[in-house]
Amino acid sequence: MIDRLVGLICILLGGGAIWHAQTLHVPFAADPVGPRVFPTIIGAVLLLAGCVLAIRPGRVELEFGTWPRALAVLVASLVYPLLLLPIGFIMATALLCFVAALAFHARPVPAAASAIATAVVFFLLLDKVLDLPLPRGPLGI
Amino acid sequence: MDALSALLTGFQVALTPLNLAVAFAGVALGTAIGALPGIGPINAVALLLPLCFALKLPPETALILLAGLYYGSGYGGRISSILLNIPGDPGLVMTTLDGYPLAKAGRGAAALAISGIGSFVGGTSAVILMTFLAVPLARLALSFGPADYVALMVLSFALLGTMGEGKAVKTWIAVALGLLLAMVGIDGGSGVERFTFGSLELLGGIDFTSLTIGLFAVAEILVLAEGMVSGVVSRTGDGARLSLKEIRYCMPAMLRATGIGFFLGVLPGTGASVASAMAYTAEKRISDKGTFGKGDMRGLAAPETADNAAQTASMVPMLALGIPGSGTTAVMLGAFMMYSITPGPLLFTQRPEVAWGLIASMYIGNLMLLVLNLPLVGLFARLLLVPAWILYPGILALSYAGVYAVSNSAFELIITTAIGVIAYVLRKVGIPLIPLLLAFVLARLLEDNFRRALSLSDGGYEILFSTPTSIILWVLALLAIAWPFVGQLQRGRAPTPSEI
Repeated sequence: MIDRLVGLICILLGGGAIWHAQTLHVPFAADPVGPRVFPTIIGAVLLLAGCVLAIRPGRVELEFGTWPRALAVLVASLVYPLLLLPIGFIMATALLCFVAALAFHARPVPAAASAIATAVVFFLLLDKVLDLPLPRGPLGI
Repeated sequence: MDALSALLTGFQVALTPLNLAVAFAGVALGTAIGALPGIGPINAVALLLPLCFALKLPPETALILLAGLYYGSGYGGRISSILLNIPGDPGLVMTTLDGYPLAKAGRGAAALAISGIGSFVGGTSAVILMTFLAVPLARLALSFGPADYVALMVLSFALLGTMGEGKAVKTWIAVALGLLLAMVGIDGGSGVERFTFGSLELLGGIDFTSLTIGLFAVAEILVLAEGMVSGVVSRTGDGARLSLKEIRYCMPAMLRATGIGFFLGVLPGTGASVASAMAYTAEKRISDKGTFGKGDMRGLAAPETADNAAQTASMVPMLALGIPGSGTTAVMLGAFMMYSITPGPLLFTQRPEVAWGLIASMYIGNLMLLVLNLPLVGLFARLLLVPAWILYPGILALSYAGVYAVSNSAFELIITTAIGVIAYVLRKVGIPLIPLLLAFVLARLLEDNFRRALSLSDGGYEILFSTPTSIILWVLALLAIAWPFVGQLQRGRAPTPSEI
């Protein structure tokens, strides 16, 4: 069932790629092939593979563990880019690590301690040692 | 000039105190940066390039530093591949296949040791080969036309299908997805936007760093957070140390892998990723008795040796022809040009101190790396005693910091997370991620060569099958494509017990 669904999605994606390739407007022809042919071929490969999978599906058992923990990490990851520039690398990273540490079964106090330590160490390593500028935030550190 | 006497003059350049210090800094930093997940040699080399000019280093010194970073990261990259199942760059994805199971079985220290030795064997053998064969081999690679490259790349995809776990058709889905993802952005040949859907951020395409981090760091952390995989952080202490017998046992695999790695590394464009994939597949075919993918030493030694051999060999076409053999050597080619040096056949006669100084420094650098990496194995093993709730949030933070450092864009982090979620879903439905990554890396080359071939023939497809080399490669590719499906049909008639 899952494989049939995956196959169907591949057929749609492959078909979409082929359709998209045909809509490309090429202002000048630098080479006889142009930018259309390659995506068309790859789209066809995907479509064909999708058909094979949909016609001859295998058994796939979806297994999920304690997925709310994964969801917590995901939400923290999605919030992180939004906070990075406004509050700076150290605070945003500490927050991300705090949530992730809780998801990995840490107690709140050690989680907070390790999160802050991680953020500070990475800031020093990347910003100061390797000279890769990271967002400073309002604290200016 | 005779190769040996030329090499001797090279050592006179490489053994000056400044160049020795720079070589050591390069390989040590390369190992450290290579160990960081998602930050590979190309980032390391690109990051240090402005520094070389800021410090006004002479060209041979700058190139010794950049090259040290490059092959040093080849040693360091294995650490996260083996211990965490996160390959730092595409040349290392094969290292995870047997390296991670070994680490999970408690033999992480031995796995690190054998891969360090493999890296040394591959790296040093390749430098020796480079010394004597640089010019002739470059001429051989020159004879490969675009059609041959297309066939070679299709063959490497097909080989992935025969070797990947699960269904071959899912490997092809992964390859197609990887190729389509790589097409996002402006087409170099015509300036047309493809698959951008009007988004400004997607004009430049999907960044490789974001893709790697998304596929192998974010998705991994999500899966780990679910607690589906038990005992994920591999312990190294309790397993047996690497024995001399095991080194001897792996030696034939290493030597074969050196040959494969060197040959593929020399071909312009086919870098370490194809070499390690081919070496792994070849070794699996030769030696596998059902132990590959479950922690076979040879399955670890072969790709790791080929990876380093190919890295070194990829400098041959860069030096001798001015054609980079990999993304990282392309950055190094840029460094040459900033010093107003034109790499090519004349380099060895006009600027011998640059060409041979660089080659000589690689003998020294590999020796330094062996000394650096074998005693440090214990240190890396100790790193794993760090609890999961410190390690994994740290990896996640470092991954995002790396993406941000490379892109300077918060939007890139959202793309990375999105790729991570897609990869999580793909893992759940059994679509392998490694072929997707390899296809993404090779896509540009595949399309460029495809279009170059058809330009030569003015659009006639028969050119793809016009040379003896390409015909051989196509036949091999067809066999590799057909193989898993034939196997499936046979199983369909008589189901094996494992399927029931």
